[in-house]
Amino acid sequence: MLSLESVSVCVDGRFIVRDVSLSVGSGELHVIMGPNGAGKSTLLAAIMGLSHAKVCGGRILFNGVDITHLPSYERAKLGISLAHQVTPAFRGVRFLEVAKAVATRFNSDWRALASLLMIENLLSRDLFSGFSGGERKRAELYLALLQDPKVALLDEPDSGVDIDTLRVLARLIDYTVFVRGTSAILVTHSGFILERLSRVTRAHIMVGGTVVYSGDPALVIPVILKYGYMRGLEVLRGGGG
Amino acid sequence: MGVGRAEVEKALSKPSPFGLDVDVLKYVVEEPSVEELKALELEEPVRSASTRLGFNGVKPSYVQVDQTALYKLLERRLRGYGVIVAPLRTALEKMDYAKRIAWRLVDPRSDKYTALAYLRGGELGYFIYVPPNVKVDVPIYTCLVLRLERRAQLAHNIVYVDEGSEAHVITGCAVPHGVRDGLHVGISEFHVSRGARLTFSMIHAWSQGVHVRPRTAVYVEEGGEYVGYYITYNPVQSIQAYPVVRLQARARAYSASVVVGLGSGDYDVGTKVILEGPGASGEIVSRTLGLEESRVTARAEIVGKARDSRGHIECLGLLVSEKSSIAAYPLIRSEDPGSTLSHEAAIGRISREELEYLMSRGFEEDEAKSIIVRGFMKVDVPGLPEVVRRHVDSIVGTISKLAVG
Repeated sequence: MLSLESVSVCVDGRFIVRDVSLSVGSGELHVIMGPNGAGKSTLLAAIMGLSHAKVCGGRILFNGVDITHLPSYERAKLGISLAHQVTPAFRGVRFLEVAKAVATRFNSDWRALASLLMIENLLSRDLFSGFSGGERKRAELYLALLQDPKVALLDEPDSGVDIDTLRVLARLIDYTVFVRGTSAILVTHSGFILERLSRVTRAHIMVGGTVVYSGDPALVIPVILKYGYMRGLEVLRGGGG
Repeated sequence: MGVGRAEVEKALSKPSPFGLDVDVLKYVVEEPSVEELKALELEEPVRSASTRLGFNGVKPSYVQVDQTALYKLLERRLRGYGVIVAPLRTALEKMDYAKRIAWRLVDPRSDKYTALAYLRGGELGYFIYVPPNVKVDVPIYTCLVLRLERRAQLAHNIVYVDEGSEAHVITGCAVPHGVRDGLHVGISEFHVSRGARLTFSMIHAWSQGVHVRPRTAVYVEEGGEYVGYYITYNPVQSIQAYPVVRLQARARAYSASVVVGLGSGDYDVGTKVILEGPGASGEIVSRTLGLEESRVTARAEIVGKARDSRGHIECLGLLVSEKSSIAAYPLIRSEDPGSTLSHEAAIGRISREELEYLMSRGFEEDEAKSIIVRGFMKVDVPGLPEVVRRHVDSIVGTISKLAVG
């Protein structure tokens, strides 16, 4: 479905991501864990085609088609969506207006999804203006999933949210991947959401702009959550605990 | 209202405190006349103006073309409610109470425009009366068209909604394509009685060269409600309006203005709400868009004069063109410790971050701009009937496409 072949990403001419290869199959959920500044968000931005994250090596294939140089809106139309970590506040533009525009473009049902994510009360407000952390994450996941994507890129959906919101987000991600068959790459530095997801296909550890470890999530996630990234990696590599 | 004609004559040279000063005497005011409006009678220029207002398929109850009032014998539904729609000139001749309320809310000596309408207007304009305790769910459409060059169109409109009633009035004011010079002055006096409700939507489609001076005053009695919606989305030489809404005990007002500045037009549009009675509340919302070389001024004022009264102002501007300018003047003044007033104002541009965000959601750059502009202009006006909402939405949809070229 989605393949990264030795992808490097530059921001303002500097290498932020180096030589990442990754393959996500249909209906798979991959998790990329890593400390702050590891290049996780930049990698997702490059897959989405955001202008600040330039692919400066390798290529990105989507269903066998090279999309490395396509603009973001073309990638979105092909079926890639990104739940951004940072969202701009739209002053004077109601959430509902944007939701309807997205739903119309992707022929999806804005009402049903709004109810699942419990964001109906936010729709009359200006998009992302004065939203709390949890509201912003729910709203953002809502818009990303409203695109009815084939591949969802979820950038830190669990940072700065309360336990109830975490539960709602995890349930919806589960539903999207395992019921709707959407593929997903979920990026997290805290790992809070991982214990609430029912099944993760593969876990990757990213440090210093590259993927340094990939493995069975049942093995990787508990070790990282217990020992942190540096010590956890030693444990994983050494096979001890 | 017992004003001497000589005093009003003096006001003919009195400029308005706001907006460009217009030499009103250079415009020709034709002899006023009143005729019955028959179906299919509207000539091409008037039809063209109606189209620009999105009034296709609409059957207005009152049409004024230059200084000719065309009124229609009421359709059955409005008649069933006991609603009266007539040229004010006719109403003043036949109905004593029309005479009693005319010029009660607007002082003809206010400025040269009110004076001109008072002295030369011949009391053309519409008179709408809604009897007590009826909810009129059919909107009452009126249409004012300025058709000839170098003419002044003067209208004096009165709406009286009696106790416990509800009515929706929609007024479109326009010129057909091609009119390059003119003056439109519209005096509007709205009386919303105890427990009554009036929504008034004004849609403007002018053209470069036309000066527009609406003068509106609204009086809302105890427990009544007034909802005003105004949108202008075509070029104009200048427009200056600052309606005043006076609210008595527990009365409410909501006013929304959407101004799309185009061409080299000078737009100076605002609303003033005076909270005169305890528990009164008012909200003023304005959205201004600066396109091309337009200069846009958004004014809003709420005065709190009574306990437990509340008011809020929101003025947002979106500067799209570098040659345009927007100014916002939100003003709150409290004369009673029990009055709670607040305001917010912001002027910005479409940011790169917003565009990039929407592009990542599957929209090309122009589409993304259009979503922002459309969303910005779409104010959620409480209580506007569905038919009006659809009308306004379709206008906003058209403009948002034009705005981004």
